[in-house]
Amino acid sequence: MFQYITRRLLVAIPMLLGAMSIVFFAMRVLPGDPCVAMMGDQATGGALADCSKNLGLDRPLAVQYVDYLWRSVRFDFGNSFRQGYPVSDYITRMFPHTFILVMASAVVAALVGIPIGIVSALKRRNPLIDYPLRIIALLGLSMPVFWLGILLLIVFSLRLDLFPLIGGGDLDGVLSMIRSGEMFTEPRDFVAGVGDVLHHLALPALALGFTLAATVSRLSRSAMLEVISQDYIRTARAKGQRERHVVYKHALRNMMVPLLTIIGIFVAIALTGTVLTETVFTRPGLGKMLVDAIGARDYPLAQGAITIFTMIIIVVNLAVDMLYAVVDPRITYR
Amino acid sequence: MALVRRADPRDLAVPGVADESRAASRGRLRRWLPVGIGLFMAVIMIVVATAAPLIAPLSPSAQFADSVLKGPGAIERHLLGTDEFGRDILSRIIWGARVSLEVGLASVLFAFVFGVPLGIVAGVCGGRIEMLIMRCADMLMAFPTLLLALIIVAALGGSLINEILAIGVALTPNFLRLARSLTLTIREQDYIVAARALGSGQLRVMARHVFPNTLYALVVVATLYIATAIRTEASLSFLGLGIPPPTPSWGNILSEGRQYIKCCPWITTFSGLAIMVAVLAFNLVGDALRDLLDPRLKGE
Repeated sequence: MFQYITRRLLVAIPMLLGAMSIVFFAMRVLPGDPCVAMMGDQATGGALADCSKNLGLDRPLAVQYVDYLWRSVRFDFGNSFRQGYPVSDYITRMFPHTFILVMASAVVAALVGIPIGIVSALKRRNPLIDYPLRIIALLGLSMPVFWLGILLLIVFSLRLDLFPLIGGGDLDGVLSMIRSGEMFTEPRDFVAGVGDVLHHLALPALALGFTLAATVSRLSRSAMLEVISQDYIRTARAKGQRERHVVYKHALRNMMVPLLTIIGIFVAIALTGTVLTETVFTRPGLGKMLVDAIGARDYPLAQGAITIFTMIIIVVNLAVDMLYAVVDPRITYR
Repeated sequence: MALVRRADPRDLAVPGVADESRAASRGRLRRWLPVGIGLFMAVIMIVVATAAPLIAPLSPSAQFADSVLKGPGAIERHLLGTDEFGRDILSRIIWGARVSLEVGLASVLFAFVFGVPLGIVAGVCGGRIEMLIMRCADMLMAFPTLLLALIIVAALGGSLINEILAIGVALTPNFLRLARSLTLTIREQDYIVAARALGSGQLRVMARHVFPNTLYALVVVATLYIATAIRTEASLSFLGLGIPPPTPSWGNILSEGRQYIKCCPWITTFSGLAIMVAVLAFNLVGDALRDLLDPRLKGE
């Protein structure tokens, strides 16, 4: 087991390094000088040179690269060109917004996707059940999250006026109440704050969750199909057990193992989805921060956001691999 | 309750050839119907995109000052309404199909042309070459498709060619990995051993024996990636990083219409519908073809 974990860790490090290098060099060829973007076209040559020096852009590329890698290891991505704050502060502030969005959409996706996948696999010989479920999954897979988001906004925010049109609620306030312990002294305010956050979260989580549910349902359908064709299921049936018992006691539990790998794919798709979802719902978060940073040529911020995204994906995949080895001991011997 | 019921002529019928052939044809219909529907939708999209100048009722950039933000059917000449500049939404969507299809097909072709040979080389050669190629692919795979395409397009700037390049590069590792895994199974086959025994070199084995045998599965997967490419293009345009306006693309029509969802939801509704139908078409075809080829699902 230890050997396996070490091997996986050793594979992850060069991958992370490579991915960070891609980010660094891609950001360096961004069209437009960041100093011109900050100071405008009218800035004098001297002022631009000063700006470049302050930002460290006059140093050789190799030095900038090593510096970036070294700082990234310490979660120091420099200061945002436009706002001047440290990028890591920004990321720390935005991360909870993206985190709760991913978590809430995961709940929606699991609640919708897993049952659809299981029923679709078990009733695959019944076209009246399998076909509509597969069509729903296919629709979810084909529907762009930003379009679904807009449709939800049109119906539930504009027409029915049930949910807010923009924003993410006062999550910072809620978090500071948790940190300061105010949630116990002012429970009413705290509950109101949480309610407001959830109110803002509902539509984005539904939009992202539904599009993710399609992927989850397909993966759980194939996981179930894989399990249902195993010998132990046939044995269970041969023993005369009821179908319900076979499904719940034998199939469902074993299906969860291959389903674990979903988490890795899920996080990657969900994080990409947050870029679009946060933009549609004008919600604060890492995804929106990234899009805004690219638009504003603020490359420390963009670099920081992409590095964090990549780190999360690699680390989650690594964690899933390890979890997989824990759940299925055969893995480590391969 | 009568214990004996009257004999039904159907009871005497032995399940015969006719029943079996009916069941088989029903099975065939079930399997091929989604391919048919998907192909039909995809063909319509291709026809619309290629014949856009003939089909589109108006020019996609023509502005009508008298019909700004008019709803569908409010003015006879604008079937799906107009946008904030009085441009015809239907014409823009028809022209937008071109961009989606061009990016969809060209980026998948790019990924195929670069990914497949590299994957086959990795699979056939093995050793250090394989390790080098696969590690590079892993690095690119660390990014989700949209994120990688977003980085590249941000670096290069938004244009049709850059979008094709960005999405193509983002899809390449997928083709590479699939081609490699297919090659790994093919290279153990007897006919490869026979070809080598007959004196075929590495290049000949790869080009004449491995490549044709991977093609079937790769083409199926390519169909699915066209859907991914179309969706990624729409997402990039929606984020304002795709083809710059005024050239219509479904993503940028939707993005522009976003500001007017309160008064004029038809702009976003129709452009989004176009994206969904196009993605659905290629997903249906690819999906159904994959099911047909998946041995596990055969005979279901």
